Formats: sequence, structure tokens, C-alpha cells
Amino acid sequence: MSAVTFRDIDRDDALGEAVERLYGCTRAGLLRRAAFGGAAAVLATLARPAASPAAVSDVDVLRFGLRFEQLQATFYTQAEEIGTIGAMPPAERRWAQTLGAHERAHVKIIKEVLGPKAEPAPAFDFGEANETPRAFIRTAVAMEDLTVALLGGVTPGVHDRGLTAALLGLLTVEARHAAWARHIAGADPAPRTEDAPMAIAAVQAAVDKTNFVVERPRMRGRSSPPFTG
Amino acid sequence: MDGNDTRMTRGGMVRLAAAAGAALTGGAMLARGDGAVSEAAPSQAQDARLLNVFLLLERLQQRFYAGALERGRLHGGLLAFAGAAERQEAAHVRLLTARLDGDEDPAPEADLAAATSSPEQFGRAAIALEEAALAAYIAHGAALTREAIAAVVPIVSVEARQAAWIRDLAGAHPAPRAADPPRDARDVLDGLQAQGLLR
Repeated sequence: MSAVTFRDIDRDDALGEAVERLYGCTRAGLLRRAAFGGAAAVLATLARPAASPAAVSDVDVLRFGLRFEQLQATFYTQAEEIGTIGAMPPAERRWAQTLGAHERAHVKIIKEVLGPKAEPAPAFDFGEANETPRAFIRTAVAMEDLTVALLGGVTPGVHDRGLTAALLGLLTVEARHAAWARHIAGADPAPRTEDAPMAIAAVQAAVDKTNFVVERPRMRGRSSPPFTG
Repeated sequence: MDGNDTRMTRGGMVRLAAAAGAALTGGAMLARGDGAVSEAAPSQAQDARLLNVFLLLERLQQRFYAGALERGRLHGGLLAFAGAAERQEAAHVRLLTARLDGDEDPAPEADLAAATSSPEQFGRAAIALEEAALAAYIAHGAALTREAIAAVVPIVSVEARQAAWIRDLAGAHPAPRAADPPRDARDVLDGLQAQGLLR
């Protein structure tokens, strides 16, 4: 099983730069040198505890969660539409189709809960990140691990206990996705004793750096996707 | 509701909980030592009772994986999984024990010999144990104090990773649902007893 380094899943340094902005150059440099499991352990010590819960409402959490699930759902749906998933061997195809179906279900669930508070989905452009099986799988690993970190970060700060319970049931599914994706990619499915949580601001910064969220859809065929896992 | 209103409707929460498979009341239910369940607000005393349930499940898993490794019937992917899971469960036991700070219950009694007698038995038992722990965390995690939730969440996702990993190795669907359901701790423990994994 090959070791996945932080650099491998963050080739364009999106996460590294986000951490740098939040925590300073020395810590970001440390992350870049570390193997992914080690990097995540470092992240665990850096991540702002799900705290600042006072500043983040449950609706804020759900709105951000919706945006993130929309990003994932669109990533998988597009890969299906352009034939990337269809070109994969059966086991990998089943994995990709399952994750796509789950993320679309999560979007539907959260939209229903938010009702009129749900914001419209932004436009996404994944460049080449979902155009080949290799790029698709590596990006999926990074996205699923990031989702685990996001849910791990926000869940303890949620005010409504019912929502906390529901988020626990989503967290475990996203963690299953992450482990399954890692297994498909030949990486360690459960590389750490504890998963590192990330605050919304850190996840937002990481997503911003990918350039996957755009104001208007761009023409396909961008040369260098920034977040190819 | 205007844009600045950050509340959600009770109906909305019920729909989310139902859709996510987590009963709204599940998070606020408390498993008592005698197996009965009652509602209670988060408190240090409730933390101790719930963390002891989680500790029991983590201890059981750690002993199971340690026994399987000692027995030497595993190879390849199953061996790699058992080694990683044993190390992680041991760390989870240490984390929960430290959090309980002297309030931990005695370790559970279990006879796991049959469950480690072959790779097939091992796979079935590992899935049962991982799913049991996950369901209990989902059912009762939200009833902990905020501080305890923050301590437990990072290990809940690792348990889910382990569940997907062993399911994949055993030929079962790694993520069979869009949201994982809760299961009351008493049912979880009864189920493990019925399967011969806990005395």
C-alpha cells in the first residue's frame, strides 16, 4: 500500500496555503513535509476546535454543509455524465456511483431541512479533475477526507442536539466514503487513530483555493486543475 | 422566516433526523447501567455513563483484534486491517479511560475464540463489532456534554473508516446507506451477547 503524502493530495498547495494563511508559514511548511497521516495529526493540533460555536449558527453550518455537498454531488454527477465513471472497472464504478448517489441524497436532505433558507447552488468547474479515472479518484480521496474533517469540526459546536445526532450519522457515512476511496486509491483507509477536525473557515479557504467554485461555468479543457488529489 | 433568522423549524429538524436515520430523541436518551433508558440533559454524570458504554465497546474490539493477531490465522489485507484496528482501538481505550479519570467500569467479559477461528469468522465478527460501536456512538453521542462530544467525534469517524475497510475486505458493501442509523446501547449490547461476542 503506497503512502500518500500531503503533497500528493494537495499538488497545487491549496490546503497547505489555506493552513499557512490561518496558522503561519512554519506550520504550513511542516505539513508539506509530513506524510498525509502525520500531516493530519499535525492538523489535529492546529485545527481550531469546533469552538467559536457562538459565532456560527446551526443554519450557518447547514448552509455551508449544503454548499459542500453540492460541490461533491456535482463532481460525481459530472464524472458520470462525461463517461469517466463508465470507463472504470466494475468495482471502482460501483464505488463512484454509490458516492454520487449518497452525496445527491445529502444535498436533498439538507435542502429540505433548510427550506427557504437554502441558498442556490453556485456553478462549479472541476477542470480536468474529474475527466480521467486517475485524477477523479485522487480528487475524491481529498474531498472525502476534507468532508470528514469538516463534519468533525462542526458537529461538536452545533446547538441543536437533534442536529448533532443527525450529523453524527452523516459523518460516519462520509468517513466510510473516505476509507473506501482510499482503498480504491491504494492508500491506507484509516491512517490515523483520530481524524483531525477542521473549522468552517479552514475548509472554506481550502475550497476557495481549488477554484472549483466559479461564478459562471467556464469552457472545459483547463490545463491544470488545482485540486487533483 | 427572514434571512437573519438562524432558527430552524422543529419540522425541519425532524425531517433531517428522520432522513439521516437518527431519531431526534436518540441523542438525548441515556443508557443507564441497568440497561434502562431515560432522557436526561447533558451532564458530567451522564458523560461518565455513556463514555463507559463506548469504552466497553472499544475494549471489546481491542481484545478481539489482539486475539485474532495472536491466533495467527489472518493474512494479507485482513492481517493489515487487524493490525491497524488493534492499534487504533487501543488508543481509543486509552483516550476514553483518561477522560473517565478513574470512573471507568471493569473490563467486559468475552470469549472471542470462535470469532477468530478462521478468516471468514473474523470478517463477520469484525463487521458486527464495528457496526455495533458506530450505531451506539450515533445513538448516544449527542447526549454528551459539548466537551465530551469534541473528544469523541474524532474517533467516531475512525470507527466508520474501519467499518468500511473490513466490509470491503469481506465482500460486503462498504457504505450501504446514505446515512447511518442509531441503535440504542442496550440493543447493541444484547445483539453482541446473542452473537456470542460478549458475555
